[in-house]
Amino acid sequence: MSPTRREFLGTLGAAGAVIALRGTQGVYWATEEDDRGWAPGIESRHKSACLICPARCGIEGRIVDGRLVRIQGSTLHPMSRGGVCPHGVAGVQMLYHPERLAGPLIRTGDRGAGEWREASGDEALGMVVDRLQSLRTAGRSDALAVLAGYCAGTMNDLWNQFLTAFGSPNYVSDASEDGSEAVMSLMHGISRRPSYDLERSELVVSFGAPLFESWWSPLQAYVAYGGVSDGEFGRPRLVQVDTRFSRTASQAQEWVGIRPGTHAVLALGLAYVLIRDELYDADFVAKHVSGFENYTDEQGRVREGYRSVVMRGYRTEEVSAITGVPVERITSLARALAEAQPATVVCGNDVTLSPQGLLAGMAVHSLNVLLGNINRPGGILFGEDPPLLPLVEPTLDETARAGSARTPAAGEGHPFGAGNQALRFAEAVAAGDEGDVDTLFVYFANPLSSSSRPAVWERALEKVPFIVSFSPFLDETTRYADLILPDLTAYERWQDAPAPSSYPYMAWGLARPVVEPHAGGTSTGEAILSVAQRLGGSLAQSLPYESIEALLQERARGLFGARRGMTFGNEFERRHLRQMEERGWWLPEHSDFDSFWSELVDRGGWTDLFHDNTDPAGISSRGDGRIALFPERLVAALEAEGRGRRPYVTIIDEEVAPEGYPLRLIPYRVSKLDSGSLALERWLAEQPTIFPDVQWVPWVEVNPETSHELGLGDGTMVWVVSERGRYRARLKVFPGTARENVCAPYGLRHPNGEVANPLRLLDGSGDPLTGLPAWFTTFVRLERA
Amino acid sequence: MPRWGMVIDLDRCTGCAACEVACKSENNIPTVSAEQADMGRALSWMKVETELEGEFPETRLLFFPRPCLHCDNPPCIKVCPVRATYIDEEGIVGQIYARCIGCRYCANACPYTVKYFNWYDPEWSESERQHLNPDVSVRPKGVIEKCTFCHHRLQKAREDAAAEGRELREEDYQPACAEICPAGAITFGDLDNPNHRVHELKEDPRAFRVMEDLGTEPKVYYLRPRE
Repeated sequence: MSPTRREFLGTLGAAGAVIALRGTQGVYWATEEDDRGWAPGIESRHKSACLICPARCGIEGRIVDGRLVRIQGSTLHPMSRGGVCPHGVAGVQMLYHPERLAGPLIRTGDRGAGEWREASGDEALGMVVDRLQSLRTAGRSDALAVLAGYCAGTMNDLWNQFLTAFGSPNYVSDASEDGSEAVMSLMHGISRRPSYDLERSELVVSFGAPLFESWWSPLQAYVAYGGVSDGEFGRPRLVQVDTRFSRTASQAQEWVGIRPGTHAVLALGLAYVLIRDELYDADFVAKHVSGFENYTDEQGRVREGYRSVVMRGYRTEEVSAITGVPVERITSLARALAEAQPATVVCGNDVTLSPQGLLAGMAVHSLNVLLGNINRPGGILFGEDPPLLPLVEPTLDETARAGSARTPAAGEGHPFGAGNQALRFAEAVAAGDEGDVDTLFVYFANPLSSSSRPAVWERALEKVPFIVSFSPFLDETTRYADLILPDLTAYERWQDAPAPSSYPYMAWGLARPVVEPHAGGTSTGEAILSVAQRLGGSLAQSLPYESIEALLQERARGLFGARRGMTFGNEFERRHLRQMEERGWWLPEHSDFDSFWSELVDRGGWTDLFHDNTDPAGISSRGDGRIALFPERLVAALEAEGRGRRPYVTIIDEEVAPEGYPLRLIPYRVSKLDSGSLALERWLAEQPTIFPDVQWVPWVEVNPETSHELGLGDGTMVWVVSERGRYRARLKVFPGTARENVCAPYGLRHPNGEVANPLRLLDGSGDPLTGLPAWFTTFVRLERA
Repeated sequence: MPRWGMVIDLDRCTGCAACEVACKSENNIPTVSAEQADMGRALSWMKVETELEGEFPETRLLFFPRPCLHCDNPPCIKVCPVRATYIDEEGIVGQIYARCIGCRYCANACPYTVKYFNWYDPEWSESERQHLNPDVSVRPKGVIEKCTFCHHRLQKAREDAAAEGRELREEDYQPACAEICPAGAITFGDLDNPNHRVHELKEDPRAFRVMEDLGTEPKVYYLRPRE
């Protein structure tokens, strides 16, 4: 029977009343049981620094009711000026990632079996302290090692201070290197990576530097390229010399496609034109450079100088035949370099990650020297570190002194660089006895995923009885740990964020907690301080800081007293400061440190935009004050080698593809994130690269003709196979790849967690001078998966 | 009455996709599974499309950030049987999710393919819900969604300006994509206001609109790359 109209209305009335009641209850009489998520909607914004990659951009968090809902660029940051890259924006997905560890875990089952029990921070730290205490008691303080990924500023100082006071020489860096530091150290006597004044440059010629992808600060390149300057400078023209049609190459005004491994030949071919047509800066070379003309060495022998080496060996036609770059383009590029005042030549990984990487890097950099673009506005310069107060002088007891004096587990390194230190460490540990390294701290590193030799790392980790990981995620290496002390994310902790080396001025950003910790965990910095306090004695004296915030505040007193620079400010303030300091003026804005500090925190950092371009020490710190084109130490080392190598004499090793492996592997970084962190942020997995149809699944780029010949079409899952190993990826047909190459992104994993790491296929060769691996000498084949 | 529009300088775009991710974060756009993404079901109100020409080594690649073009004569609103998609008096083409019946006529009518259909309920874990923007509603399964020029920001900016007793300024209202672009490629403002940068930029000799011959009158202009 159907209800009558009256009955129906009656029911509706009752239901309506209930709905109305429940509705108002939420608004006016919210009770504790009411969990409909009513919130007052209190909103605030805080400046901080992004710590995802080395660029350390300025960010601003929008916080609603204690939740970080948006990350935007900080308009006050001198470089980012309101912009930030997609990784920075997606940081909220790192903070609120569902797989973040909730707190410390202690392994209960076999290693790698994934059996854990939860522990309190106190218990976990106690475990570390007991272990370390017993090492010190046994006089084996050097059995502690720290493996750290990219680590700059105070965190780096903190680890080193801890190890020094503890008594271990084993700080092992797993950060990626581009080899430029070794070049600068040899030629200029200045041991630091160069800075690039891209914005004030007229022409930027990049030899394989991934400016828009995985450079020190892609944002710096975006800002310069977009001409988003403070209105003072025009946009530079960008020429990209690259073996593959990279994102940088695709947006450059000119892409010079080049055969792998021939960048140095092209650079010297350009030098040939500059010298032949007398387009180089003869005045600069005469004043500041040694080794350009023939010279007499320390033994009194007459040696051939740069000019005659280049004029003899790099005739344009020959260079063209080797590099594959047409003669006209070589000539026109050389002329453009000479005309642009100033121009900058940037040297990237593609040059230095090769068997002759150091010599190739010097050849490319010699263009900057010839053009006199050193320490000039718009050229290359050497930056300074912000004038922070140092940490307290470490107190060393007997154990510390003895331990620090021992040989590091990774060995002494290579004659001109510490390249691949992490792998050397792993090899040494794997070859040694169990317990040689007793305790390993893993900080911002995940070698089981990112290393080219995960098997070596597995063997090494088996030899280490106690592994502590500080990762907030259960990554491959962390799964292998005995104790996990998850770090907080960048939005929940204090840390300083010094600008990367590529900045042409000083900037010291400050990351601070913008929200309460979302998951349990301890900031690793605080953990170090706390372990030091519990160990007591000289360790406690060496790290006498209450908290990281207190430590940073103490160090910032150096900035306050420096009588230069300012806290981050707007465009007007930036220009004002620059103009004042150019005229030798500086006005104090704060009468006391507390107001300085509070403004520094509010604005997200401190900067000094002024760089003295007139200081001769900015060109060379060598004894003779000149830039050495033929550094004696290197020349001597090459002579001792007995292969007839000299700087600027390029020996191109004829490479033959091994039978059955017809394609050359060209690995490249999609971003500066080396350990596959990209997969963590889901928004980024949807847009990892330039291809709108490539999402989630790691890919390799293949020329359409190659794809046709192999019968492997777009989208096919393939095995990329070398003599050393294989991995799975999806084939992407891309005409920007040369027929004989396979371009393989590094730093990705499949949605199921399977690592797709092309470095595992590498043949293991490298530059013996720097220890850096060679990335472009491996041949592969593709098989249907 | 303002007429909101955008100018995207293709000469400055580096294809970094900050605009895309900023849009997703601002507008609570969910991700779909890898398999669904393969079927073209990922949602991206702002999408950096690419155009590739030529063969190695004479290859050319153009990045083409594509929001909703907010046509003055939008084909999508004409086919909507329930008036879920509409154009307001300031030229913003919006979508009323509660009205949408999921017929997808508008998605098919849009020549620029900027309308996205929710084939599934959005998946946000308990933890991820924390970063949802409270100013933008989360869409359910079965409705169309699209770029709104972040019009929730306009509402807020108007209220703020009114509270301070002043006119709305250009910088008060910027969508997330324009705000974040590190290369300064995206400019947003009132096309009819001579004090706004877009007013001048749209008259640039490099300016063009996509598929202008359709008569859709899009309010997103592009600036050709310089040769």
